[in-house]
Amino acid sequence: MTIDMSKYLGLFVSEATEHLEALGRDLVALEREGEAGAIDSMFRHAHSVKGMAASMGFEPVARLAHRVEDLVDAVRAAPDRLDRELVDVLLAASDTLMAQVRDVARGSAPQEAHALLEQLSARLRDVTGRAPLPTRVARTVVHLQAAASADAHARPREEVEPVRRAPSRWALKFRVAPACQVPGVRAFLVHRRLAALGEVSELRPALEDLKAGRIPDGLVSLRLETSSSEEAIRTSLRNVPEVELEVLKAVEAPPPAAPVQDAGRAAEAEPGRTVKVRTEHLDYFLDAVGELMLATARIREVGKALPEGMRPPLEEGVYRLHALVKDLHDKVMTVRMTPLSVITDRLPRAARDIARKRGREVDLVITGADIELDRAILDVLADPLLHLLRNCIDHGIESPEERQAARKAPRGRVSVSVRRQRDRVVLELEDDGRGMDAAGLKAAAVARGSLSAEAAARLSDREALLLCCLPGVSTARDVSDISGRGVGMDAVKRSVEGVGGTLEIDSEPGRGTRFTLRLPLTVAVVQLLLVAVGDEVYGLPIAKVVGAVEADLAVLSRSRETALLPHGTGLLPVHPLAGLVGMEEATVGGVRPFVVVEAESGKVALAVDRLLGQEEVVLKALSRPLDRVPGLSGVTILGSGRPVFILDVPRLLAA
Amino acid sequence: MAKRVLVVDDAIFMRNMIKDIFASGGFDVVGEAANGLEAVEKYRELRPDLTTMDIVMPFKSGIEATREILKQDASAVVIMCSALGQESLVMEAIEAGAADFIVKPFRAEDVLAVVKKVLGEA
Amino acid sequence: MGAPVRHVVFLLQKERYALPLAAVREVVVPPGRFTRVPRVPPAVSGVMNLRGRVVTVLCLRRLLALPDGGQPGEKIVLLDRGRRDLGLLVTDVEGIESLDRVSAAPGRQSSTVSGIARLKGLAVTVLDPDGVDAAVAALF
Repeated sequence: MTIDMSKYLGLFVSEATEHLEALGRDLVALEREGEAGAIDSMFRHAHSVKGMAASMGFEPVARLAHRVEDLVDAVRAAPDRLDRELVDVLLAASDTLMAQVRDVARGSAPQEAHALLEQLSARLRDVTGRAPLPTRVARTVVHLQAAASADAHARPREEVEPVRRAPSRWALKFRVAPACQVPGVRAFLVHRRLAALGEVSELRPALEDLKAGRIPDGLVSLRLETSSSEEAIRTSLRNVPEVELEVLKAVEAPPPAAPVQDAGRAAEAEPGRTVKVRTEHLDYFLDAVGELMLATARIREVGKALPEGMRPPLEEGVYRLHALVKDLHDKVMTVRMTPLSVITDRLPRAARDIARKRGREVDLVITGADIELDRAILDVLADPLLHLLRNCIDHGIESPEERQAARKAPRGRVSVSVRRQRDRVVLELEDDGRGMDAAGLKAAAVARGSLSAEAAARLSDREALLLCCLPGVSTARDVSDISGRGVGMDAVKRSVEGVGGTLEIDSEPGRGTRFTLRLPLTVAVVQLLLVAVGDEVYGLPIAKVVGAVEADLAVLSRSRETALLPHGTGLLPVHPLAGLVGMEEATVGGVRPFVVVEAESGKVALAVDRLLGQEEVVLKALSRPLDRVPGLSGVTILGSGRPVFILDVPRLLAA
Repeated sequence: MAKRVLVVDDAIFMRNMIKDIFASGGFDVVGEAANGLEAVEKYRELRPDLTTMDIVMPFKSGIEATREILKQDASAVVIMCSALGQESLVMEAIEAGAADFIVKPFRAEDVLAVVKKVLGEA
Repeated sequence: MGAPVRHVVFLLQKERYALPLAAVREVVVPPGRFTRVPRVPPAVSGVMNLRGRVVTVLCLRRLLALPDGGQPGEKIVLLDRGRRDLGLLVTDVEGIESLDRVSAAPGRQSSTVSGIARLKGLAVTVLDPDGVDAAVAALF
């Protein structure tokens, strides 16, 4: 009988991916800083991937990882043999390994990387003068235990932390009284008391189960490493009700290499206990809590219909419910907070690749990547950030010769700095390159017909820089260059604004450019103006709304087909919202409201049927396939339970 | 000398009930507070031997108040008043330093047993 | 001839169709109204709120370009996890049945149809969830 390995597949994919990402980061760090420590870490990552893949029976992955491991080991012995080409081969190998792991994740067999294996072998012979050894891979389906032990071997002994004064180790067992109503909380309290004395390990049941009250027979066992005395341990539990200490005895010192789940810098930086949670569960929690909030609001509404005398008890209940749900919401949001490093960690590698391709020399400095943001915002931000980086290196940083001619250091510098500012996170991406040409952007925008020459003349330089966010406007001097500044900047701006953030650009010719992203910490709670068209309701972000005016469409002057609404000292083009969203335009005449909104190239007036008022809503990202619909920036669910789309007016007008 | 108790709850009904329970156990209820803000101030003023703390309250939650009280006085003994279904909040309060908890609906003998145990009298 | 596979069997107008049970997450009753999606083909019925998730609902009859027989859509078949925000509006759901022997559909060969099976002597058109998914993606 074979053991079904598929249940380990998810773990294999996620752990192997982590190792390979770390390997890539190490390679870049190694090349940049010549950091010797990186080699040891690379060796461990390659070794771990090899062990896991071999246990899973993924031969091509195991073989390639083994070859990488050998080569890294060889370089460790002969650091002078490390050069740019060797790093390139290793990076290519880590990319290929990643692709193989992705194949596995998709359910297809990983492809053998013949050419790459050959290259690695050649380099290895080159460095060591011997051929690589064959890779042993599990032929039968084996238990994942094998991977775990391989992993443990990979960890060098010297990594075990030196112990200052050997604390003693105790085995404890306690029982929560059967009459206890909340055994989980009770056991958690004991756990906390003990954790205050020293290090708790081998907790059975595991902390998550324990907290949830899943404690068979009320029995909890654990090991405690502490310098406190036996008496001190007893005392700390003496005044805890509903708990009986059944066993407390000294045990042997811990074995030298206790199996630890994660190795590497993450574990060093963060000793706290963590569990991995699938992001879809987090999404589900957030949705569920959102629903709870709605349900609470509905109960409150119903309560208003009750006779006066019956209301207070209900209101008190609703008040408590509301407070609890609010707490829960905050907790869920906290859990969803993820450090920016999740997306900035891949930037050094990207910077290296782009710089190499373009013949640039660039130092990338990242600071503040430990600052946390909601995962949903990070997801949205990943591509724009990469795009901005590419922009800086492609178009901002000059070639070394050009820089020297301009009396600058030959190596360019791009910095990504992140900081908290009240309830926002400010991310600045700055280069010391040639800067952007405001006048050129104005000319390009006018040439494309995105802007009148008069309007362009009125723009300040700072406003003009944002013109690069109009689709198709670019100042790239190089005509053959297909990825000019303008390409994709519209997408960057849209993404940033889609999560409730803003984008600013500062630039000084010859000195450099700075992109400033101001982002909300959590999924935006946005203020919407709700408008009705026919039976449908749409939301317009208040930030984009300039005002609302009432007028009779029939009496407005027209320029060709477009009605013009007097506003301030000028006339604004009128767009019936019904038409923009693809509905029949109602023919009812008379006075109706118009919403004046900011669009890319100035203000426009949207004709709507009714204004329904302002509402603060939790923005939801558009899931597939809605994210493909032009002109939508998000969706929300109103108190009535009705989903309402939030419109991206400029895109709606352009589509 | 009877131990001095501060009772914190936003419902008068609950406060009265808790006061009666303590009185029957020979404790001295020296003060009451109806929200977390008041609780922190009353604690500073009274320095009781024991504080019972509701979790969900207006202005400042019991967890916040507990955290602040312990910041003032690391030896403060705060017992959370919780209901079934509030387990995660109680655990949060314990992390904030609460000494123990009692679970609603309260039975006098259970409450007194917990309190005496926590104060090391049992 | 393969082992029997459990399918969700449903009606589109008067015709019987089936989707592999593994591809279906649940069956729900449509809300009173859908929120319409701006500027998409008529096969997109709109979106609905399902326990806090915004689900895009497609009229399966229109998606498969079948004639309108005048029967209203009474049920929504929600597709499985990978496509968990997609629902298919169908006339009614009959139940879960084991179907073996899915044979090629004469004259109905398309990416959305994987074949024809027999159920109690009647023909059932078995749909290919990936094909349906691709047909939906093509609308956007």
